[in-house]
Amino acid sequence: MTGYLSTEIKRMLRGPRFIIFAFVMPVLLYSLECMLYKNQTIPHSGGITYSAWLMCSLAAYSAFTSSMHTTARVSHERAIGWHRQLRLTPLLPRTYLLTKVFVAMIVALPGPALVALFGALTQDVHMTTGGWLQITLGIWIASLPCAVLGLVIGLYVQPEQQQMYLQGLIILFGFLGGLLLPTTGFPDWLVAIIKIMPSYWLADIGHGALLHDTRAVTGGLVLAAWTLVFSGAVVLSYRREAARA
Amino acid sequence: MKTKEKTEAGPAERTTTVTARPEPEPKAEGKPAAPAVEPAIRITGLRKTYGDVQAVKGIDLDIAPGEVVALLGPNGAGKSTTVDMVLGLSKPTAGGITLFGKDPYIAVREGLASAVLQDGSLIDDLSVRETLGMISSLHKNPMPMDEVLRRANIEDIADRRGTKLSGGQRQRARFACALIGNPQLLILDEPTSAMDVGSRRKFWESMRKFTDTGRTVVFATHYLDEAEEFADRVVLMRSGTIAADGTVAQIRALTAGRMLRASVPDATAKELGTLPGVTGATLRLGQAELHCEDSDKALRALLTKYPDAHDIEISASGLEEAFLSLTAAEEADAA
Repeated sequence: MTGYLSTEIKRMLRGPRFIIFAFVMPVLLYSLECMLYKNQTIPHSGGITYSAWLMCSLAAYSAFTSSMHTTARVSHERAIGWHRQLRLTPLLPRTYLLTKVFVAMIVALPGPALVALFGALTQDVHMTTGGWLQITLGIWIASLPCAVLGLVIGLYVQPEQQQMYLQGLIILFGFLGGLLLPTTGFPDWLVAIIKIMPSYWLADIGHGALLHDTRAVTGGLVLAAWTLVFSGAVVLSYRREAARA
Repeated sequence: MKTKEKTEAGPAERTTTVTARPEPEPKAEGKPAAPAVEPAIRITGLRKTYGDVQAVKGIDLDIAPGEVVALLGPNGAGKSTTVDMVLGLSKPTAGGITLFGKDPYIAVREGLASAVLQDGSLIDDLSVRETLGMISSLHKNPMPMDEVLRRANIEDIADRRGTKLSGGQRQRARFACALIGNPQLLILDEPTSAMDVGSRRKFWESMRKFTDTGRTVVFATHYLDEAEEFADRVVLMRSGTIAADGTVAQIRALTAGRMLRASVPDATAKELGTLPGVTGATLRLGQAELHCEDSDKALRALLTKYPDAHDIEISASGLEEAFLSLTAAEEADAA
């Protein structure tokens, strides 16, 4: 089935516009926010700077937006009847779905790395090697549920509404998930809601590296649970389509 | 009913036909022998309901390897629903389908069966060749790329992207997608609906080359002339059931027989109607139109009784008349 994978990678490389958007946008947002907070440290944090904290948040933002965007494009393929065409080939549904997630994960890799690089070079963020790995590779792997969530959108939502759903989720995850704004000023009930969202835990994978605690482990478990939930939705959708058509 | 007698029957029955239509060329000899082989398609007691709507109401059908079958019927007759189930794209409410003795899903996965569906597009950001290459890589025994491009008549557009194709070109490219797995059974759901006349001819040329290799083809169509020209067998569907099943000649014979036209001076319609072999007669200004169940007998009797009869034409009633009367008739029995 490598023929299918290589074709999908080729297609991914042909759509550079949205890739650039997914990579460059988070770096831009990061630099803007760093200008806002200058070199302040977060109160009661033991000297962690906002620029270091936000670096983790925006690395997470980059990973989830780019992976979710990639898999959500499935809705277009479904709408033009390409799914039915593929079902007339030996390609297994699970190969199709796994390939989509795999390609989304390739797209999601450079984003967090770019944000981290930017932080290290321009914002004077210092970390151990393990810390750097945690906010790049760690966040990248942890963005898996977001790739699967994009697939859920792609399978359930019509292409016309797909952008709306994506933007809605990005705002929800970005602002309320504590990626674009620090959650310190939010009321308790809102923080409780925020702590359900995968994006919060995705950022905490990185934050854990700054705080040297085990929150990354909790985050990993929560994200694994989300991956299971979203995968269940994907399987359900595919079965439903096969039964109805 | 399922023997192939189209080419034998064709020329004989149209000796004096006036409806000028080129006769189909004789099919290649030596198609694979049908007996002792699993049927290409076996459908038993097939039903499909969507809520309260019964789209398919019990179909039994065997199609032997090598047959070229036209699936005819008005909109809503259940053709596409049946095609979807045969391909494993949707599940029957009741009944069974096997392709070469296998579950449709398995047959499709093994590349035994493929299809050109009614709706559906190609991926926009890949060229036709890239799309074909991808599908080819999924199959165990794909047809060589050059052969596919030649057979589907798309050598000139192979490097174009999906968005840059006309309706007819896209349809031929999709035909190529179905060919590349080298299927033994090909199902076409209204393959020429998006094509102009030229594209349609090109498409059927390539289709004829494909069926000459002894493969099974089932095509649903609205165009009766396509069924007449390309099918060995016609299956006529009406409101979810099979209304008639036989060769083109048999389907025509089911309803209409032949039409004998002649100028007959000094005759009355009543006299003409009593001639042997004639089932009905009209006469207007000396022009007689005789519906015949046996036009040979009728012609002999006509010339014996009216030696002055001239300008004689005998034509086979078209499939169109058969189609209309069979799909309209409420009580038409399955043939």
